[in-house]
Amino acid sequence: MNAVIEVQHLKKTFNKEAALQDVSFTIQKGEIFGFLGPSGSGKTTTIKILTAQTEKTAGEVLLFGRPADEMKQSQNRKRFGILTDNSGLYTRLSIEENLSLYSNLYQLPKSAVKEALDFVNLNSERKKKISQLSKGMLQRVTLARAIMHKPELLFLDEPTSALDPVNTQHIYNGLRRLNEMGTTIFLTTHDMSEAEILCDRVAFLHKGKIRAIGAPKQLKKEFGDDSITVELKNGACEIIQTGEQDAQKLFHWMQSNEVSRIYTNEPTLGNIFMQITGSDLL
Amino acid sequence: MNISMTRIQAIFMKDYKEFSRNYAVSTMALMPLFMAILYNQTGANAIITYFLPINMAFSMVTTYVQCCLIAEEKEKNTLRSLMLSPASLGDILIGKSLFVFIVTIVVVALTIFLVGYEPANFFIIAIALVFSAVFYIAMGTVCGLFAKSIMEGSIIVLPVIFIFSFAPIILGLSEAFPILKVAEWLPSSQLVLLAEALEGTFTTMDVIIPIATIIVWSLVTWIVAGFIYKKRMVD
Repeated sequence: MNAVIEVQHLKKTFNKEAALQDVSFTIQKGEIFGFLGPSGSGKTTTIKILTAQTEKTAGEVLLFGRPADEMKQSQNRKRFGILTDNSGLYTRLSIEENLSLYSNLYQLPKSAVKEALDFVNLNSERKKKISQLSKGMLQRVTLARAIMHKPELLFLDEPTSALDPVNTQHIYNGLRRLNEMGTTIFLTTHDMSEAEILCDRVAFLHKGKIRAIGAPKQLKKEFGDDSITVELKNGACEIIQTGEQDAQKLFHWMQSNEVSRIYTNEPTLGNIFMQITGSDLL
Repeated sequence: MNISMTRIQAIFMKDYKEFSRNYAVSTMALMPLFMAILYNQTGANAIITYFLPINMAFSMVTTYVQCCLIAEEKEKNTLRSLMLSPASLGDILIGKSLFVFIVTIVVVALTIFLVGYEPANFFIIAIALVFSAVFYIAMGTVCGLFAKSIMEGSIIVLPVIFIFSFAPIILGLSEAFPILKVAEWLPSSQLVLLAEALEGTFTTMDVIIPIATIIVWSLVTWIVAGFIYKKRMVD
């Protein structure tokens, strides 16, 4: 596998205050990588450094094996797409006019606009002016613009924060399709369920430092225990551990038809984040 | 520099659509025309009076509109989106300037017609007017890149409108206040000096110096605009 993003000992300070401290991670081609953390933890700053919008204070940042600074060159900007909370759309123009502008800037065929609109489920609304759109619709237009040139690398800063469940699911399906076609996705979110559904690996960012990194399953195994909760028909709730002694107990309850429900006590990513940082994600 | 006609055309068309729907800025293009009609009514026929509305057209339309278009792009974060697209510095600056250039040519031509000015040498004046338009677009670009919002842009551009529109009149006060002689080297004064020279017998230097001065102003201002643009690409 090839590394698409390599970050080593990244540091960023604003007025002597550290926004990022010794941040290191690598993202391989084809991965969906989740950067999780509360507001102000440094997620957006990281995206800005990766896309050459902000200069780093120290460390090494490589995109496609080249210094991130080279992403300022116009020919390199075709390689990535970006969605941020600032839509950067022209409010007096329609959805279609905005996307047509970017289609021309990326020198794409005319069909690219329709494909992008289909991706975000907005084809029927394409004549609407940007100034008339809801926040959720704006986010979908911005996403359409970010993916319309089918970038090798996609940066998504809180991509579904303003969307309803139906459109969120639609976007998830689209992102998976895009990923299957080879797009690497760097996603920031504080929505743990979104990270669990989409991401191959996640990193927990807290106060500018990475506190844990790995696949969601691996982190759950690392930070969880092997206990199982057994709810009995008499209303009792028993927590049992793996091992011969508790296996006998479970066998007995099952044999005597006393078991109502069994479930693992696997922690959520939110639980793990709280366990590591001592604070909530919001 | 990587320049693409497709991208320049796309930015041009976008600016045209935005401008035609932005009445606050587009109505500004009519101001010099009203001024020209009023001047025509006064019966003034000196070169300096012909060029007052013409220079105002440059500063009030060219610089102001360019400044507002760029300041609005900054305010709404659309300039950053353009910068993150494959459009190069040249594509964006040429695309954004081309629209204002065409508006300027139309407004200045109408102003000249309405004010009743008939140049002694149309060709030389036309060259000087084209280079002046290039300079005033650069000034608007610099002001727009400095401003954080349209409101701020409208204020930043005021001294430019005042200094460049009234430089030839300020120059008239230089006998009483010798320091004001410096206004002679502003592009608006050079335009008037050129037009005055063309009305009588003139030497080659009478033509070259004003045009060269306007070109130097344009070049320097565009270099400054390019430098500020590069700085604005990063936070």
